[in-house]
Amino acid sequence: MNKTSKGLTRRTVLSGAAAVGLAGVARAQTPAEIKVGLIVPLSGIYTRPGQVMKMGAEMGIEHINAQGGIKALGGAKLKLVVIDCGDTTEKAKNAAQRMVAQEPDLVAATGSYLSSFTLAVTEVTERAELPVLTLSYSDLLTDRGFKYIFQTAATASRQSELGLPTLMKLAENASGKKPKTVAMLMDNTATSVATAKALKEKLFAQEGLQLVVEEVWTPPLSDATPLIQKVRSAKPDLLLFMPNAVSDAKLGLEKISEFGLGQGKIPTVSFSITIAEPDMLQSVSPETVQGIMTIVANWGSKGHEALIAELKAKYKEPWMTQNVISTYGDMWLMKEALEKAGKADRNAVAQAFRTMDAGPSKYYPGGQLKFDEKGRRVGAGVVIVQWQSGVPVTVYPPELAQAQPFWPKKS
Amino acid sequence: MLRMRSFLPPLLFTLAYAVVSLGVTNSYYQLILTLVPVWAVFGLSWNLLSGYTGLISFGHAAFFGIGAYATALGQIYFDISPWLLIPIAAVLGGIAGLLIGFPTFRLQGHYFALAMLAYPLAILYVFEWLGFQEVTLPIKRDAPIAYMQFADPHLYTLLGLALMLSTIVLTQIIERSRFGMALLAIKQNEAAAEAAGINTLAWKLRAITLSGAIAAAIGGFYAQVLLVVTPASVFGMLVSAQALTVAMFGGVGTVWGPVIGSVILIPLAEILHAEAGARIPGIQGVIFGIAIVCVILLAPEGLFWKLRDLLRKRNAKATASDTVATVAANVTTLRPASPRPATGEVVLEVRNLSRSFGGLKAVQDVSFKLHKNEILGIIGPNGAGKTTLFNLLNGFLKPSQGEVLIGGRDMSGQRPHVICEAGIGRTFQVMRPFLRMSILDNVVVGAYVRARTDDQARQFAADAVARVGLSAVANRVAGELSTKELRLMELARAIAGQPRILLLDETLAGLGHGEADEVVAVIQQLARDGMTIAIIEHTMQAMVRLVDRFLVLDHGAVITEGLPEVVTRDSRVVEAYLGKKWAGHAAN
Repeated sequence: MNKTSKGLTRRTVLSGAAAVGLAGVARAQTPAEIKVGLIVPLSGIYTRPGQVMKMGAEMGIEHINAQGGIKALGGAKLKLVVIDCGDTTEKAKNAAQRMVAQEPDLVAATGSYLSSFTLAVTEVTERAELPVLTLSYSDLLTDRGFKYIFQTAATASRQSELGLPTLMKLAENASGKKPKTVAMLMDNTATSVATAKALKEKLFAQEGLQLVVEEVWTPPLSDATPLIQKVRSAKPDLLLFMPNAVSDAKLGLEKISEFGLGQGKIPTVSFSITIAEPDMLQSVSPETVQGIMTIVANWGSKGHEALIAELKAKYKEPWMTQNVISTYGDMWLMKEALEKAGKADRNAVAQAFRTMDAGPSKYYPGGQLKFDEKGRRVGAGVVIVQWQSGVPVTVYPPELAQAQPFWPKKS
Repeated sequence: MLRMRSFLPPLLFTLAYAVVSLGVTNSYYQLILTLVPVWAVFGLSWNLLSGYTGLISFGHAAFFGIGAYATALGQIYFDISPWLLIPIAAVLGGIAGLLIGFPTFRLQGHYFALAMLAYPLAILYVFEWLGFQEVTLPIKRDAPIAYMQFADPHLYTLLGLALMLSTIVLTQIIERSRFGMALLAIKQNEAAAEAAGINTLAWKLRAITLSGAIAAAIGGFYAQVLLVVTPASVFGMLVSAQALTVAMFGGVGTVWGPVIGSVILIPLAEILHAEAGARIPGIQGVIFGIAIVCVILLAPEGLFWKLRDLLRKRNAKATASDTVATVAANVTTLRPASPRPATGEVVLEVRNLSRSFGGLKAVQDVSFKLHKNEILGIIGPNGAGKTTLFNLLNGFLKPSQGEVLIGGRDMSGQRPHVICEAGIGRTFQVMRPFLRMSILDNVVVGAYVRARTDDQARQFAADAVARVGLSAVANRVAGELSTKELRLMELARAIAGQPRILLLDETLAGLGHGEADEVVAVIQQLARDGMTIAIIEHTMQAMVRLVDRFLVLDHGAVITEGLPEVVTRDSRVVEAYLGKKWAGHAAN
């Protein structure tokens, strides 16, 4: 942006200066407060994940400030600026524009749940040179050659690459034999499509799995009967069930249970956090979901016990989903970058993210606190979560596992 | 002159808007200023089809999305500049309009609206299936201007404004031309429009093609502003609804409606989102919804029409005065009937015409001849098949059997606008005037069937208005007229197309004694001027003085034909009207 705007009108330069310059002024004296942004859906159908992310961010800010703020900046406190990105791509873009125009002294931000929203938001922040951390895992996010986006989660294709072999190992250890056939039921959202692509093109063959049923639906799912009927007649060793809406997950799981395929008759695995959301228990019984596994980018795990307890006490959340723990971790990551940058300047913070090498990550599974040239976290891993007695607990990787996995046995 | 003057307000508005936008340095406000013309143009494209023809489209997102995806995918896969892709998008949108319009125009009313709803939703799934859930425009750091990626957000607004200005001007040109008149006529009464010589299907297809092209072009520009295209953001229900919302809020069927709607609603929604939404997330939707509901309740046709009506009322108080008296004077100067020379030349011949609906024989085996310059009265009791006969003559209905020869050529089964071109004009029992248009504009609609140019059409219309004696009130809107004046206006619309034969369907219905006489005088004058007329009427009284010859129908068949004195004494006629008992009396 800077390179091209020089040739343009005086007004361009002035407006550009207005956006970037204020941050420059702020760095002259040590600020008492450093603003960081949280741009998430707080209205519309994605409100719930947005709220949960806010909980994580608030807890993170509170802990950082309680422990003395940003030491390199004389103990400056972090301040959270919350922006609602709404429920459409256009609203997300507008909200991002508002964020960069109205909050010129932000040094970094995190968001925005749905990868479509993150895509739109980062189109704006990239041009405003504001670093953004994200837990969205679409590969596209970090395939655009952007310099100011940092993806903390493993990308969708990487998740399936990492997740499926692990899952196969788990099955082999627990049941003594490798699954041979697989059924795949998925919705057609961007995440599911990206995951399925990686599975079909490469991973099934690599793991010696034969795809016997493949069904795709467009949310909302109105009736799961025909899908589950096909699964029942094909009798696969493994069922990949990939919904992204709680209502779809509920319909599918109830039907699985109704057809007598639940409780591990056919081991069922998902690829998103939907199936492990607290909302699930409002509509299905713990027995229906018992044993179901899901491969996710992050989850409350071993070592997070105090945090999980605090979340429960403060926000009445029964367990810690990816949205909470990742956003909480983002706050610490921003602190790390600010300490490294030594000044409250967005470009310095972005540079700190790029050059950071802060060792093993505490709040994201696997890998380092380090980003590659695309902005992807180096060595980002996955977590396998399993429903056990009404709670989805981390069962893999072993160093994070809260409980031993059990492989549902065919009866 | 008139034309240039009408382009001045949009030009001034655009300039003022541009000046305001150049003064705004906040990039967020600038983005909102860019989105206003985007949605205004989308509203205008919707208005061009739905506002003027009255065929409500719930599916304009189909065109919008095609434009957005064409612009995005063209850049990603073929590395074409959006400067080129937006015109390409417009062409694709136009083609889509044609393809969608052709089958869908078979439907009318709610069915049309619902069918249109299906297109974007179906296309949405196609794009999801193709794997275009999320598409982002590649960032061009080395050649931003060539790829319409401006660092200065003002340029987006100016480009949006340029698109809006051209759409407004285009709409204004259309509004005033034969095109606009045809669309308005379709909106009021598609059947009457066909009867007035308008090829409704052809005009509707032109409208949807143009509308689709504009919607696709602005969709392409929108993709350029948003930089991210997802099926939901360009094909979604909310996108189609946006076009309806801005147009209906601002005013349907006027160029200013979508602009007003967009200027108010888009910033309002954003301000609510930014201000109220930050405090109570979700409240913005509630306030926005309530605001729209209130405006729709207070101004059901949109703000523009409400304001215009208020202004008109104020002006009317000042100027309303002597016009009425002059009209009456004008008409009564016509003298009563005098015998006309019947040349004997047959201009319309009907041979064994029949039409049945299931078991009901509405018209059976009717034959008659209409001679040049005569007035033929077609009478008969209710349900005798009079209007059905007219509908067969002007092509609304296809005959089951028989022929209609116009000037010796068999025209039975032709579409109404073709028959109108062949020289048959008609009026309707139920009047369908264009209430918001002036009398002259109402009449112009009927003139296009003969006129080659817009000016000629206005000339024909002015002549027609003069012939029925409405010249003095020609510029008043039809909504202010009395029943008699409306009947005369309908008559003027029918003769503006310069027909050789005029079919009048109960033109005297609903008129008082004196009023009926005035209308009769006008019809007689038309006949004196060489027009051939067939008229349907219930009331014998007025008819006896008006017509040269009677054709009497009962149960769909001709019972007799002849001079008024003879027919009114015919016992079969009396029987048909009054029953057997009275037929005996009449014979004595």
